[in-house]
Amino acid sequence: MAGITSKTIHDIFQSMEYGPSSSSTATAQAWLESHSRALGLFIDGKFVRSADRQTCNVTDSSGGPVCSTVCAVDEDASLSVSSGASGFKAWSALPCHLRAKTLLRLVSSLQRHGQCLSELCDLAQSPSSPSALVRLLQYYSGWAQLRDSLIPDWTPRGVVVVVVSDDCSLYSLMLKVLPALAMGNAVVAIPGVGTAPPVLLLAQLFVEAGLPAGVLNVVTGSVLSLGSKVAQNPHVSYVTYSGNKKDGEILCRATAGMGVPVSLSLSLGATCPFIIFESADIDSAVDGVIETAFKKNRECQWMLCVQESVWDSVVARLKVRMAGMKSVPLLAEGDRRLVDAAVQEAQQQGATLIQPCPPSSSGAAYPPTVLCGVAPSCTCVVTPSPGPLLPLLSFRSHGEGVTLGNHSPHGQAASIWTEDLTLALEAAKSLSVGAVWVNSHSVMDPSLPISGHKESGNCIDGGKEGLFQFLRPSSSPPLPRSSPASVDYSKFGTAASAAIIPEGSNSSSTPRSYLQYVGGKQCKSESGSSVCVLAPGGGTVLAHCPDGGRKDVRNAVEAAIKVQPGWMKKSPVARAQSLFSLAETLELKRRDMAVSLHSQTGLSLEKADMEVELSIAQLCDWAARCDKEKGGVPVRIYVFLAVCVQHLLTHPQRSGVVGVVLPDSSPLLSMVSLLAAAVAMGNAVIMVPSPKYPLPALEFIQVLQSSDLPGGVVSIITGGRDQLTQALANHSVIKAIWYWGSMEGCQFLQHTCASPLKSLWLHCQEKDGGRDWAQPHASLQEEMWRQAVQWKSVWIPTA
Amino acid sequence: MSARNPGMPLDLAWVSKVRVNTQAVLKRAQQIQGRNKNKKQWQAAWLLRAVTCIDLTTLAGDDTPGNVHRLCMKATQPVRYDLLKSMDMQDKGVTTAAVCVYPSRVADAVKSLKAANSSLPVASVATGFPAGQTSLKTRLEEVRMAVEDGAMEIDIVINRTLALTGQWEGSDFIKTSTGKESVNATYPVAIVMVRAIRDYFLKTGHKVGFKPAGGIRTAKESLVWLTLMKEELGDEWLSPRLFRLGASSLLADIERQIYHHVTGRYAAYHQMPMA
Repeated sequence: MAGITSKTIHDIFQSMEYGPSSSSTATAQAWLESHSRALGLFIDGKFVRSADRQTCNVTDSSGGPVCSTVCAVDEDASLSVSSGASGFKAWSALPCHLRAKTLLRLVSSLQRHGQCLSELCDLAQSPSSPSALVRLLQYYSGWAQLRDSLIPDWTPRGVVVVVVSDDCSLYSLMLKVLPALAMGNAVVAIPGVGTAPPVLLLAQLFVEAGLPAGVLNVVTGSVLSLGSKVAQNPHVSYVTYSGNKKDGEILCRATAGMGVPVSLSLSLGATCPFIIFESADIDSAVDGVIETAFKKNRECQWMLCVQESVWDSVVARLKVRMAGMKSVPLLAEGDRRLVDAAVQEAQQQGATLIQPCPPSSSGAAYPPTVLCGVAPSCTCVVTPSPGPLLPLLSFRSHGEGVTLGNHSPHGQAASIWTEDLTLALEAAKSLSVGAVWVNSHSVMDPSLPISGHKESGNCIDGGKEGLFQFLRPSSSPPLPRSSPASVDYSKFGTAASAAIIPEGSNSSSTPRSYLQYVGGKQCKSESGSSVCVLAPGGGTVLAHCPDGGRKDVRNAVEAAIKVQPGWMKKSPVARAQSLFSLAETLELKRRDMAVSLHSQTGLSLEKADMEVELSIAQLCDWAARCDKEKGGVPVRIYVFLAVCVQHLLTHPQRSGVVGVVLPDSSPLLSMVSLLAAAVAMGNAVIMVPSPKYPLPALEFIQVLQSSDLPGGVVSIITGGRDQLTQALANHSVIKAIWYWGSMEGCQFLQHTCASPLKSLWLHCQEKDGGRDWAQPHASLQEEMWRQAVQWKSVWIPTA
Repeated sequence: MSARNPGMPLDLAWVSKVRVNTQAVLKRAQQIQGRNKNKKQWQAAWLLRAVTCIDLTTLAGDDTPGNVHRLCMKATQPVRYDLLKSMDMQDKGVTTAAVCVYPSRVADAVKSLKAANSSLPVASVATGFPAGQTSLKTRLEEVRMAVEDGAMEIDIVINRTLALTGQWEGSDFIKTSTGKESVNATYPVAIVMVRAIRDYFLKTGHKVGFKPAGGIRTAKESLVWLTLMKEELGDEWLSPRLFRLGASSLLADIERQIYHHVTGRYAAYHQMPMA
């Protein structure tokens, strides 16, 4: 410090350097002192601190001590949830406007203590802007007010656990906590090391401002073990996580089989393309790069893609703007070695460097560095190293730019730069990421739903869409809680089907042999073997159906990826027409279908006919939705064009290929409902009929064949539920699995689909009576629709 | 003054390829305004640097040798000697960059400065200032006369008819406006202009200077302008060779801020010597 303060005015007058940023931390220090620098857990509206707990030290950027936090044990975990359960009772019983009023009081409390919060965040090395949090809180207090009028028939889940990894920001944490509170849930927050002090402060402020005790509890400690410790409490209804991929997967596996849904937002560390087209305002684009690419704490790893025709221009400006930039501190001691190795390797592969100064020979800081001309296959692109490194790649045409941006396992966000409107919108549409910032970057607005595509998550945060993870349709029961069974995940679904050789078979009628439906063709299973389908009541063999397995799933996926992009690009009107024609064909075959239902399930012919009728109605219903709101049309464009300063286009996009393991109940109606929802939104589906009642689905193949749905959009594979579930789970192309089956199956899927990540919609047939398919309640239809779409936000700053 | 810009053949293809994204520039302007949080000696040093970049200006219809003389004296001693001395800056040549007057007052200014033994340059607005709507012949004659009277720098109002129809002229310095418009120097416009300077530098290697003028009245604004130059073009554009602030009342505010830095008290305007 002496070196800095001794600088004379004349020195500075000559050098024209910036002064040190003044950072008073007096307010935060005073708050910490009032807690003797030892922060307890925040449970039931007060700080709790048992003397015998281990503690964890929070340090500032120079390694100095800030305070200590408690490492919670099992007892604390269960205390926090039971307090949450009683908090939930009080909080959810309030009318919407009272909840909103409470949240608005929190806004003013937050504004009053913004300075303290901001200082505390800086001290704990978890920088955050109080004004952004205020805006977030205002936004969601609005939703608290409007819940019952705009989202009727949905109900809060109960006690929600919000877990974040150590490197996650306070904003990302609150992006989950606040909507959960606004919808009437109680929250148990498990912050990382750096976010713990500010969250504890917030919890205290909130309770002082009138949030009932127990509605927001904060437990600190080792995030990974604590997450599953808290989740195993039967009062917990939902677990949501934000942070890095590794910890997310561990949490997912640890909670598999508890019967609690888990969603992951894996935004941290995702590779995001920053694409500069030749029609861009190059100076502003480079400005964006400088602002975001070399920060010490960055949410994502940018990959700069520049069109060849403006390559020189971009490189020249990068050189000018980077000159004089200072070295960036690395986050960990060991990072320097990784950075050196990455730079060396890039250079060996022909990359040239842009650096403001050569790196010091050692030490935990590195100058901002652009690796010019690396190839997409270079390690520094595939697995980015820590530190202020930015790979710079070139592309020739617009199409190649988008392909380059898409060729990544991540799908978090992209920044694209062009003054060409059509190009901007087309590129935004083609990039498979959750958020596209046009001529801007890193915009976080509460109204902007952020949902990672591909491996960047299966959860939507922010905006109205971000509310639904904290709600369930009032008429559908939550997943029943259970304790994880000991499942041998490597053996699940590998047992051969039990061959039933019927005794004393009735020779009066030979059972019919059905074929399954893959890629628009009827076929046997790859293995060639089949299984028996028994008549209701057991005993007689009604039919034989193929015993499908991995290879059949593989064939179905191959067929699906050939046609799904074309199906998705079809106009909503064309998709509607296909579904209407499917309904008409079903109408023509209604008698056959009714008979099949009757003989399979023992349902009276009259009731069977009713089920066919309802199935036709479902097809027509989803056909009608195709070109309407909540169909394929991004209606929100118009709303935002009129009122919003920033143009936010929110598109429901299609998931891709969906695997559906069908329920036993209402075998025709349930299948048709799910098929219609998925296909109407542009997905391809691979359906596994109930092994108990597969015949209506197999009979339905006739209907599919005579419709004009492209072959491959729907495949139907019969066989063992576990075998086929295992096959679906182990195919990376399948993006979502809708599952009706055993508790064990749910557990297997939760465990296995953590990596590669899939969206799961799980139902345990053994425990819940299952939904009443004959009464398609509006919220159930909406739930189905939300499962069938993926969101993309396009942010275009305009005046 | 930097080495003269020799110019280049007019390349309209280059000009027409330039893209500017308004929102990105506005955001950048916001960011620059929040960037400089200098305190204490950093703030004082930056303010003194701002002083050295000022073209201390009087452009009034009632300018006389008397008030031009006062202006020149203020330009040679822009900050109270005792204040400079307490910062140990009294012998570091802290003067404004130039004085700027109408052509008919150039001779008065040159005379006053010479009498005070100062080598400060005199700048003159010329060519039908501020509208520029006079014939080329009289415009050229005005420049010649100002130079004959001893003006070292000429602020030319370009013929905006030509500019608006795409027939540009070249220069050593570019200026945001005459200072007499309803909207003068704004940060977003300046960002676009300095980026043009950068563009030209990258293409030709010649450094063109920049002069915002009009409405710059507070010390804080002068710091934002310096920050803008530093951020966009680098430290080289922080000297009077490549950067000028066209202003008349700015200096008084800067001097008060420096007074505050030195004494810890806020000054009244009358405590600062008048220009």
